[in-house]
Amino acid sequence: MAVICERFLENDTIKEKVYVATLDPGLEVFVFPKKGYNKQYASFATQFGSIDNTFYVEGKENLLEVPDGVAHFLEHKLFEGEQGNVFDEFARFGASANAYTNFTMTNYLFSSTDHFEKCFDLLLNFVQDPYFTKESVEKEKGIIAQEIRMYEDNPSWRLFFNLLGSLFAVHPVRKDIAGTVESIMDIDEEVLYKCYRTFYHPSNMALFVVGDLEPERVIHQVIDNLEKKNYQPMGEIKRIYPEEPKNVREKCVREKMEVSQPLLNLGFKDPNVGFTGRELFKKELASELLLEMLFGKASETYTRLYEEGLINDQFGSTFVGEKDYGYSIMGGETPDPDKLYQELLSSIKQYTQGGFREEDFERQRRKMLGEFLRSFNSLEFIANNFLYYHFRDNNLFDFVSLLKEITAEDIQVRLRELFDEKYHSCSIINNNGR
Amino acid sequence: MSGFESRLQMSKFLNYTLPNGVNLHIYPTDKFKTIVYSIFLHQNLKKDLAAKTALLPFVLERGSKKWPTTRELVITLEGLYGADIITEILKRGERQIVQFILEIVNPVYVQENGNLEKKGLEVLKEILTNPVVEGGGFKESYVNREKEILANLVKGLINDKVSYAVERCIQEMCREEDYGVYRLGRLEDIEHMDSKNLYSYYQDLLSTAPIDIFVLGKVDPEQTLALMEETFNFPKDKSFDMEPTLVYKEVKEPRYVEERLDVNQGKLTLGYRTNIMVKDEDYYPLLICNGILGAFPHSKLFQNVREKASLAYYASSRLERDKGIMLIASGIEMDNYEKALEIIQKQVESVKAGEISSDELESTRVGFINQVKVTEDSPYQIIGRYLGGIISGRQETQEEIIEQINRVKVEDVVRAAEKIQLDTIYFLRNKE
Repeated sequence: MAVICERFLENDTIKEKVYVATLDPGLEVFVFPKKGYNKQYASFATQFGSIDNTFYVEGKENLLEVPDGVAHFLEHKLFEGEQGNVFDEFARFGASANAYTNFTMTNYLFSSTDHFEKCFDLLLNFVQDPYFTKESVEKEKGIIAQEIRMYEDNPSWRLFFNLLGSLFAVHPVRKDIAGTVESIMDIDEEVLYKCYRTFYHPSNMALFVVGDLEPERVIHQVIDNLEKKNYQPMGEIKRIYPEEPKNVREKCVREKMEVSQPLLNLGFKDPNVGFTGRELFKKELASELLLEMLFGKASETYTRLYEEGLINDQFGSTFVGEKDYGYSIMGGETPDPDKLYQELLSSIKQYTQGGFREEDFERQRRKMLGEFLRSFNSLEFIANNFLYYHFRDNNLFDFVSLLKEITAEDIQVRLRELFDEKYHSCSIINNNGR
Repeated sequence: MSGFESRLQMSKFLNYTLPNGVNLHIYPTDKFKTIVYSIFLHQNLKKDLAAKTALLPFVLERGSKKWPTTRELVITLEGLYGADIITEILKRGERQIVQFILEIVNPVYVQENGNLEKKGLEVLKEILTNPVVEGGGFKESYVNREKEILANLVKGLINDKVSYAVERCIQEMCREEDYGVYRLGRLEDIEHMDSKNLYSYYQDLLSTAPIDIFVLGKVDPEQTLALMEETFNFPKDKSFDMEPTLVYKEVKEPRYVEERLDVNQGKLTLGYRTNIMVKDEDYYPLLICNGILGAFPHSKLFQNVREKASLAYYASSRLERDKGIMLIASGIEMDNYEKALEIIQKQVESVKAGEISSDELESTRVGFINQVKVTEDSPYQIIGRYLGGIISGRQETQEEIIEQINRVKVEDVVRAAEKIQLDTIYFLRNKE
């Protein structure tokens, strides 16, 4: 078993270091020592998310379109082995295991304080050992159906997915991660195995471990584990995404729910996509900076809308940038969604015409650095974000240097391209009139 | 330097009393990237006062004499590397607590020449002790706007059905006790407040409420003590006493409450009286009892309601330890009400009957020990645990807690379980 490459990344500002090893057949392993922490946190992730619904099975000739929600369904089922539920095995060591699926990845994790090595073996083994039967797949449908029903009653969740559904015409990002109660009924053990064989090869995965641990030891444990599994190299995974037009599908989508006051999300579809690596990360940071300057608590817009009673302190904004798609969102609770919608659009128009103040830019940059530093108190933040950025060919530590690199001109460019009124949608949840 | 370093390793609270009677707890540690300052103002929970107490931090955060608008405050904090001031309203037993948090980046990481701690603390002090005052009251426009905000938050409880169903069960169960009031108070009390009576209420409260201040991070205790004496030197009278929480209550007959809303999923919540206080000998047995029943994925509720019967995505139990009540919550298909209720009650009965495998007991035990140990990895959890000790009157170290968890036997769990009585069944379901 060969170690293809071993190296470390460090950052002088954060004063932290992460060890990285690339192991045959292509698994990336990260170990982030955190002195003095009682907790160890490990995650094993694959680049398989809800948007990966059309692909060539095992990279070969047969194109397969899978039911919506299959990546999330697989995540649930992987916890069940031939010997029973793997949750119980973690529990015997006092550890707690969990997993989540998002648009682009599935992540399995545990946190422990004692018996790290045993828990780590459990994680490595259960993720590499699928066991799906007809009965267990059928049983899971009831559980996941209730998970979906729970989200159906969650106004913020509905607001968000209604927005994605109207911003995007065909790209699978417009669909709910867990699928629908109807779509999951079409899932069977066969399709789960096909997905597993395609996406759970080590070359499509990464491991991240953080805690008061010795990197060498952890990496050796992975080497020993992989050696027994006899992996064959696998070619590139071919995922097929439909060609998404620049235009949005709908201008505005409305739904009625049991809420105390209406909710509004305004979204802009990013027309400038196709980036990876540092460029993508920089675009993301510039967009986040811009949103804070325009709509953060210190902005004129926020102050005015708060005073007018149109927003409360839950009002917020965010940017998401992937290689093939990107969007910004702003919004929150409001007594008058239609008015807030118009106010936000006109405020954006003012900014795009009048620009922003240099001092706001410098202050937001300082604030973002402070918040980033603060996040390194949390092992969960470290692991989840390192993996997220790694899968985008980024290194989380680059946050600091990129933040310094960004110029006022970069922000101006983003201001003009991200807020093109042609490419916006809005999502509104109204009270169902109790 | 070496003396300072060795003190940093202590990882425990040093306790002081400031000249005005405020309690100060300093926890020096170099484990974290930040320094956390946390102020807790304790008030007895009363139904008609809860909204008034809850409104205070909203108004205070709007501005101070030095920085009279939220915007100026925020700009100042953002300039301090995104220092954050957060306020919270907590309900712990029949006690309502107003919390003010300041978290700043440890200056080591940002080569800050000025004094980041001192500047941050000045903002915190301004918010707490120097509000914008006009005509003998808080600024009226702030109070009016924040009353709207608070009213919307109280009404907004309904938006998240998962927590709504649990809160409603508590409200129904404790409708005759002060604990039955929502942590942000009642809607009808918000209307009656004005800027003058709210201001005089605050002056009283600040002057007579017990106050605890925590400092956690890479700090020198002596310097910090001096800095805190200088910063929080506002005058105070003798503090009022905290009233005890009603915990022991015999239930004659469980009550059924049904509520109908336009929802897709039914929410079943069961409220129990445990008749056990944190200070009681049976507290740790109760903790383990709740663990076996529903605090983990290996627990009886998760295993039987979810894994075996496939009825729910979540089915769990939790303790409100300072009130001595236990809540079981699950989200189910409406038609499965009877089935789910029967399975849930069967699990409670089986714990009472001592049907506890050694796997269940040991997994629960090590699960809690894990939770106790990881408390040390978060500034907020370290402070939270110590605050819990202040509230309950049972202040214990990590080692003492673990020792007591280790001592619990099956018969102790059964003894605790026998005291638990079902009080209220609350079911949130769809409209007919």
